[in-house]
Amino acid sequence: MSDLERRYLWLLLAYPAEYRRSRGAEIVGTYLDLATPGRRWPAPADAADLLRGGLRQRVRAAGVIHLVPGVRLAAVVALFTATMLAGMWTVLELRPAPPGFGEPSVGPFVSLGIVAWVGWLFAAAAQALTPGRWRRHAVALAVLLTVALVPAAALTDLPRPPLFVLLPQVGLGLVALGASGERQVSLRVTPLVAAVAGLAFGVSWSLDSFAWSYRALTAEPVLRDTAVAVLAVVGLLAVGLALRGDHRGGWAVLVLLTPVGLLALHPLAGAADGVPSAFAPNWTALAATAVVVGLVGPALLPVALAVRARLARPSAGPTWNTHR
Amino acid sequence: MRAERRRPPAYLRIRYITAMDTPLREPTFLILTALAAEPMHGYGLIREVAVLSDNRVSLRPGTLYGALDRLVDAGLVEVDREEVVDSRLRRYYRLSPTGDATLSAETERLRRNVEAATRRLAERARTARPATPRIAGGLA
Repeated sequence: MSDLERRYLWLLLAYPAEYRRSRGAEIVGTYLDLATPGRRWPAPADAADLLRGGLRQRVRAAGVIHLVPGVRLAAVVALFTATMLAGMWTVLELRPAPPGFGEPSVGPFVSLGIVAWVGWLFAAAAQALTPGRWRRHAVALAVLLTVALVPAAALTDLPRPPLFVLLPQVGLGLVALGASGERQVSLRVTPLVAAVAGLAFGVSWSLDSFAWSYRALTAEPVLRDTAVAVLAVVGLLAVGLALRGDHRGGWAVLVLLTPVGLLALHPLAGAADGVPSAFAPNWTALAATAVVVGLVGPALLPVALAVRARLARPSAGPTWNTHR
Repeated sequence: MRAERRRPPAYLRIRYITAMDTPLREPTFLILTALAAEPMHGYGLIREVAVLSDNRVSLRPGTLYGALDRLVDAGLVEVDREEVVDSRLRRYYRLSPTGDATLSAETERLRRNVEAATRRLAERARTARPATPRIAGGLA
């Protein structure tokens, strides 16, 4: 066995054991057929290709044929939610406290947050107007702008939205990156509709509010209600789809649990520190809850995959009828 | 070795076939096109797809076998036979009757699109032809 073959076999460990047994020789044989004479190491692109293929096959071996459609469904819901919130926060940014209140501001805006929210509105418009590749880039840019607010505010000493507003937005944005570059116009337009709805909600609520700001008393109920709405909508969707034998809704719920947990940070932290009030938890309880949500939420997916793989094991793994 | 390939439930196969119906992604279309002539193994398929696409589409084995898994699940491709050449396993794949029908339907759809586009471009070329220049004041 040559060094190159041995190294390809090492990379083949990315695939599930049963798949390796049935098709490993065929895959490695094809790589060796393609290799130039004298080659001793797999090309980096070959290694990436094998790792991608192995991951894909592990998902298939776990019997979760609905996982990828579930991630895409979650991405659509996440982008809808993120752009709606961005619309609302944009209106909030346009209403800084009167000068006599002594509140810091950034020119005519409440904080640096306006940069990120405009980025999200741009991402919403990009979904409707640009080709597939640019749509994902626009969402990635909005996520980066949102993350960059923290160091930017620290460096410039200017105000920014609080972390309990930024964290769920980043969580929703990361899930939204899983979109597949939808071709349907109706799906592509929904983020723009959500952004306009968010702007309209923001305007109607700001007219009623005495002092709009990112304080827990004003922003927290918006985030909490959004968490409840997202969970209810995706939950109902999951049940409806499951009745038709389509289980992607369940995976979408699982994927969305992390951003939903971050949206519901105040009630969760209130429950964690023993104070049932929605906006009573102190900073330590909020931070600890955010860390727990950020660790447990993403871990649920691999745990669910492992459980599915264990349940599917007796009959899983492709075998081939070569005598048809 | 005689073992049955575990296939997904019927409703999923139907959905896959529907999803692959129209339009097929370019690599899928090229794999089916390559198999239309004769059964091929993985290495042969990679070479043939490159030739068919003028080297625009370069499949790597990990990607190719993932695509073949999906096509076999969808019932468009079948395993034809296995051979061992230079102590390397070669598994040959062939187009199934469903794959043949899907490729024919997609080819017909593309042909109509090409014809429509060709007609429109010809009309555009005719209408865009510059008009005969008129002499100011006429010829009188």
